[in-house]
Amino acid sequence: MKPLGRVLNVALSLIGVTIVWWLVAVSGLISQELFPTPHAVFIAALELYDDGILFSDLAVSLGRAAVGFLIGASLGILVGLMTARTRLFAYALGPFLNLLRPIPAIALVPVAIVWFGIGEGSKYFVIAYTVFLAVWLNTHHGTAHVALTYIRAARSLGARRTREFFEVIIPAAAPHIVVGLRLGAALAFLSLVAAELSGASAGIGFRLQDARDYVRTDRMFVGLIELGILGALLDQFFVVVGNKLVHWEQM
Amino acid sequence: MSDPTGIADSSNGLGKVEIEDLTITFKLPGGEPLDAVKNVDLILEPGSFTALIGPSGCGKSTILNAIAGFVPISGGTIRIDQDMVTGINPEVGVVFQQYALFPWFTAIGNVEFALKRLQLPKAERRDRAIEALREVGLEDRARTFPGQLSGGMKQRVALARTFASEPKVLLMDEPFGALDAQTRVAMQELLLRVWDMHRATVLFVTHDVDEALLLSDWAHVMSAGPGRIVESIDVDTPRPRKVDEVTEDFLNNRNRIMRLLRPGESGDSAE
Repeated sequence: MKPLGRVLNVALSLIGVTIVWWLVAVSGLISQELFPTPHAVFIAALELYDDGILFSDLAVSLGRAAVGFLIGASLGILVGLMTARTRLFAYALGPFLNLLRPIPAIALVPVAIVWFGIGEGSKYFVIAYTVFLAVWLNTHHGTAHVALTYIRAARSLGARRTREFFEVIIPAAAPHIVVGLRLGAALAFLSLVAAELSGASAGIGFRLQDARDYVRTDRMFVGLIELGILGALLDQFFVVVGNKLVHWEQM
Repeated sequence: MSDPTGIADSSNGLGKVEIEDLTITFKLPGGEPLDAVKNVDLILEPGSFTALIGPSGCGKSTILNAIAGFVPISGGTIRIDQDMVTGINPEVGVVFQQYALFPWFTAIGNVEFALKRLQLPKAERRDRAIEALREVGLEDRARTFPGQLSGGMKQRVALARTFASEPKVLLMDEPFGALDAQTRVAMQELLLRVWDMHRATVLFVTHDVDEALLLSDWAHVMSAGPGRIVESIDVDTPRPRKVDEVTEDFLNNRNRIMRLLRPGESGDSAE
């Protein structure tokens, strides 16, 4: 689809959904307390904006996601390269990391709070953990499965190990690493909310919890929409940057 | 087989490949051993062009991979200028059927990758890379990534890349197998032209009889089960050869090879 067509598609779909949403909300089938109209949600957003917490929450949450993502992603790439190319690390860490994978981030929140308190540390930890596993898995897979012909070609062209690593293995694995980063960014958001739901004094997750205490579904909807838009934008960002970075392989 | 054609005189005398009693055994998934290649003797004279012809599964690519150092051998020896082949060696260049160009480097980046082992000053490396691309007629595509090149162009970059690092021995594994008929003929002529400038010892694996007879000084016909050489043909059609000038020699050789390749007549049933 052409860019203009895609924008049109997104716009029409959202308008359609909003109309249905509005029709359901005003139909009287469900109390508007529980299911606010689009208009009420818009008013709630303005209210949050006027109070100055709409963007400060956004900034706090984005900051946490960014720090956690950076820590998790850099460790994930580093360890992924090590476990894929060094047998010692593969044997030492592989089984352990595979055992960690089924543990959901939210299960780690209590542990994180005991270890790091309810401050920023526990949030970074939970987010970094989730991002790390996604990035590690993809980096490991991509790096361990570099096409044999590339390695053979590189060696018969006289490349030594260092050059083979930096000029052949890393670029060959790059598409997988980028996929891992994109997945990691999405997961950073999921675990961010999990971390913020228990013990935070700002951020989108906290605001959702706070709204629950006052049964402010309109404010909750604002939070959910924020998360949706932010996640979608971030994903697009990774697609665009990823396509530039690994231009030889369209994602 | 001594000096095959006399053209060896024009090379620098390096790049002699001696294969003695070569056996390569693979383990099948069930654990049973399979002799992909058995008791093969083969000598490639310096600067000569040798073709290996045979049906798929006859072990012709396996021999090539063994000379390249890609697969371990189970018995016998492979020597290049007296040195035993023990692993991958940059003196031996390889051109792959699927090009194996690095898609993250431009055409010139791919050629420079090969030149880096010579540790030249940057400017000289660049000049030589451009020169190598000029030899294959692609100097105006130097900045193009492989993804934007046609199959024939990719293989020309791959040829330039391999010749640029000046290997003594050049192994080609069905390099034109993925190309259409016209591109293929153009590539064969280009290969002969570039080879004439560099004169590496070439081993060319193909299942195309015409291609083998057009290019080579010696054509060895292989048979499967176990992989071995069943006949060696001295292709003495004078050079330069043309695709559109079929001589009687050519036809005789062609008929001979065709009969050998016909299933059931080349000793396929022999054990």
